[in-house]
Amino acid sequence: MKDVKSHIKLIEQATKEWLQPDNADLKQAIERTVEEGLFSFEDIKFQIRSLKQKVDQGQISEWAERAQLSKQLNAKGRKVLCLHAGNLPLVGFQDALGCVLSGADYYGKLSSKDPYLLASYLKKLRANDVENLKEYSTELSDFAGLNADKVLFAGSKESVDEVKERLVALNAVTGSTDYIIRTAKFSMAYLENEDPQTLRDMIESVFRYGGKGCRSVAVIVSPYTLSKVKCHFTDYVEEFWLKNPQHQKPTPKLAYQFAYNKAINRDQAWLDDFLIQATDEFPSDDFTLHWVQGDVSTLKALKAKFGEAVQTVYSSGNPIEGISTEWLSTAQSPDLWWQPDGIEVIESIIKK
Amino acid sequence: MNWKIDIFDQAISFEERVAEVFQYQYQHNSVYKTFCDALGVKRFTSIDSIPLLPIEAFKETKVLSTPSAQLPELYFQSSGTSGMTRSTHYIADEEIYRASILNGMREFFELDNLVIWGYTPGYAENPHSSLIWMIQCLIDQEKTAQSKFLPLYTPLVQKDIDEVAKSGKQLMIFGAAFGLLDLLEISNVQFPSNTLIMETGGMKTFKRSMSKEELHQKLCEGFDVRSDQICSEYGMSELLSQSYSKGDLWFQAPHWKQVSVRNPENPLETLPKGEEGLIGVMDLANVHSCSYLLTGDKGVMDQSGRFQVLGRWNTQNLRGCNFLIDQD
Repeated sequence: MKDVKSHIKLIEQATKEWLQPDNADLKQAIERTVEEGLFSFEDIKFQIRSLKQKVDQGQISEWAERAQLSKQLNAKGRKVLCLHAGNLPLVGFQDALGCVLSGADYYGKLSSKDPYLLASYLKKLRANDVENLKEYSTELSDFAGLNADKVLFAGSKESVDEVKERLVALNAVTGSTDYIIRTAKFSMAYLENEDPQTLRDMIESVFRYGGKGCRSVAVIVSPYTLSKVKCHFTDYVEEFWLKNPQHQKPTPKLAYQFAYNKAINRDQAWLDDFLIQATDEFPSDDFTLHWVQGDVSTLKALKAKFGEAVQTVYSSGNPIEGISTEWLSTAQSPDLWWQPDGIEVIESIIKK
Repeated sequence: MNWKIDIFDQAISFEERVAEVFQYQYQHNSVYKTFCDALGVKRFTSIDSIPLLPIEAFKETKVLSTPSAQLPELYFQSSGTSGMTRSTHYIADEEIYRASILNGMREFFELDNLVIWGYTPGYAENPHSSLIWMIQCLIDQEKTAQSKFLPLYTPLVQKDIDEVAKSGKQLMIFGAAFGLLDLLEISNVQFPSNTLIMETGGMKTFKRSMSKEELHQKLCEGFDVRSDQICSEYGMSELLSQSYSKGDLWFQAPHWKQVSVRNPENPLETLPKGEEGLIGVMDLANVHSCSYLLTGDKGVMDQSGRFQVLGRWNTQNLRGCNFLIDQD
């Protein structure tokens, strides 16, 4: 590895070049992704624009500074296997970037649901001689015999054992491999006003990527009842969908849930491809938003009830005392150093 | 129809009985009617097209199919810790439940030759337990008065066991599995070699983790009986009919109850044998509440129509950025 500063500069430069509109490789990756129906063009464009904005702001260097990367503090020589999810376009970007920045040897198992976009980035890093970028593949078996020092992935507690078994069987890990596992599943928001910008931010936070991803809002707590705001709210949803048609469609289970809500007289708003329902239950289903009428104390109680499944609580107004909150407008375009499940990516890789 | 008789009458085809019950419930159960209407089902066309109401409805509302506006006095509630919403199942006609219990037991066991002992720690605190009611019903019907609830946390007495053996009857010990294991721990007795153990799958009082196979093995060893004498009951407060397994993990339902495995992404679709999905139940004994229910349990069906219960369908893992090796 070159000295830390040059290393970071090299990655920053490669990333900027990769994000250039004339990058034919990225363009081709986008086209293939859209052609194969993996993600919508609008969602990919949104993600890339958001990343470009952060990179142009100098966030790569800033992240390295925040993590205090230095000659003494880095993960040089450590083998890190990143198991990337594929539920959103480029969802693995942050882990890949964090890993190469840290100086660790990066090995990336790409998701077959997002095989081209991240690969085009990794290809660029390799072309620009980022030497700690070692291997990437959509096949787990390509990492047989790796003996990784760390494995980074997002998963449920229940999936951990299965993942470990597969990795052990491949000798991709050793008995002392450290697993960095993120288990957060969704985010919550407190909606205290109905001004147009707040509602637009809210819609973005809920409906972008079809509601997938742990930063997407699945539970809204608001002093207003669903029945009071639903007409107003759905106007904004339609506006959003006109520009960003929902790529994935729900299964018949959603209509079943609608029928059930009707039967038990639960307030709801049926949006064809999405269901908003007035309930404080755990939001386990895709394409659903749970609406809870309540105040800040309701929000806090729910956050406590859902526990570690909650990634972030967003506020549309003032920060909420007693809990950590983020601005609603940043839900789908977080800083590069945002912490999935409260875990700082670079720090977790460096940590012995 | 005379429900008390016709539900259990095999001379009437299952389909015919299902159709009659469906029409009745569609007419008299506003919750179920609304559910069916929302799915576009307004009349009976075939068994497979009947919508199964999610069983949580019993937690959210009153699920009743009866022309009477008055709430029945008898109701069952699921067990649960404080703060948990419990299911409430109103029983408009307890004779139907009684008939279901007795007919069901007779379909799978020689009920008239059984002495039933119930051991139910953890359930005793629930005055509305359907399991307690069921065991009491089995105790009451037994003529020799040897059937009883065993006192909680009290060692078994050899003399009582010997008396059952002497009477020529077969002993069936009925209760939550871990409770039975604890009963063994505090007792030093020998059971007749033909003793039947009926575990209700209950893990209500103990937070131990053990597979069903391990549990059955331990019961076998503890009671010193053959594996085919370890039986299981699959029931819940929302269902008035039970399914039973004998010696293995495969359950069978009585003739007025049909179990299917449904596609969790489309509960109107029955999955092929061997595929895992949500357990759906058509229980005609539920005629006065709702007979067509989708449980939250994961199950699988074999070629002969028997089913296994594989635990709860864990929905909490479906959202988020899960890395799933086989499905990513």
